Amino acid sequence: MNEELESRLRAALRPVAPSDEFTRDLIARVAADQRSSSDARSAHGRRPRARGWWLSASVAASLLVAAGVQHQLQERHERERGLEARREVIEALRVTSQKLNLAYEVIKNQSSFPADDKPGA
Amino acid sequence: MRSCILRIFLALLAPTLVWAAPNPRLALPEFSTLAQKATESVTITLDAALLAIAGRFLDGNDPQDAAAKEVLKGLQGIYVRSYTFDKDSAYQQSDIDAVRNQLSAPGWSRLVETRSRKSQANVDIYIMVTNNQATGLALIASEPRQFTIVNIVGAIDLEKLHKLEGQFGVPKLDIDLSKAASPNAKK
Repeated sequence: MNEELESRLRAALRPVAPSDEFTRDLIARVAADQRSSSDARSAHGRRPRARGWWLSASVAASLLVAAGVQHQLQERHERERGLEARREVIEALRVTSQKLNLAYEVIKNQSSFPADDKPGA
Repeated sequence: MRSCILRIFLALLAPTLVWAAPNPRLALPEFSTLAQKATESVTITLDAALLAIAGRFLDGNDPQDAAAKEVLKGLQGIYVRSYTFDKDSAYQQSDIDAVRNQLSAPGWSRLVETRSRKSQANVDIYIMVTNNQATGLALIASEPRQFTIVNIVGAIDLEKLHKLEGQFGVPKLDIDLSKAASPNAKK
């Protein structure tokens, strides 16, 4: 009796190979699980990368603005320097012409009144 | 060996030649004491770089600027010291002599010397000529209450200076370069 029961149990619990359908379903589910877990991982890792990008962009923008301001200041300085140099050129020529006029006046007066002035031109 | 000796000789001679070249740039003193006493002072120091910058800011459409721009061509420097005082004899003749002495160096010729007893205005114009080209101009004007020194360095075109007439009131002084170039013209 016992022997019969035992043999029936053995027969019922013998290892059986899974069906093809079962194997396919199992592989598909495992693959789906792997995909979803890797998506979740990549979504989690994108945040610091995005933060890094914004940081780089803002540093680059700040550098651009600083370079622009520096250029503007340099241009303004150049312009002020140029206008000052121009003013000095005009002033130098004005002083020169004034003194040449003075010499001219003395020469002219000398030709009118030879006894008064002594030009050596 | 001979060429080596010649090279050494030329290398030793080169500084002497450079030193011997006449320099149209005058060493103008600071005149700081005079500047303090003066009621009005003009101190202008424009080297070649500043003249180039000034040239860029001179408007070619403005007659005065255009005339100035034309004069600036070929110039390497403009140096002006001018002091006006509120009383007579505020400066010493020795103040001017320091500059005048430099004009006795080779290369300089006095073109114009005017002495007016009436206005007590004395104007001396010196010019440095190299290869029939004016390379330097110095003007010393002394009046009882004012003295002015102008030194222009570079290829000065006197014709262009004359053309400034009407713009800056520069008169035609009939300056003859050939006279300046001849040794007899030197004071």
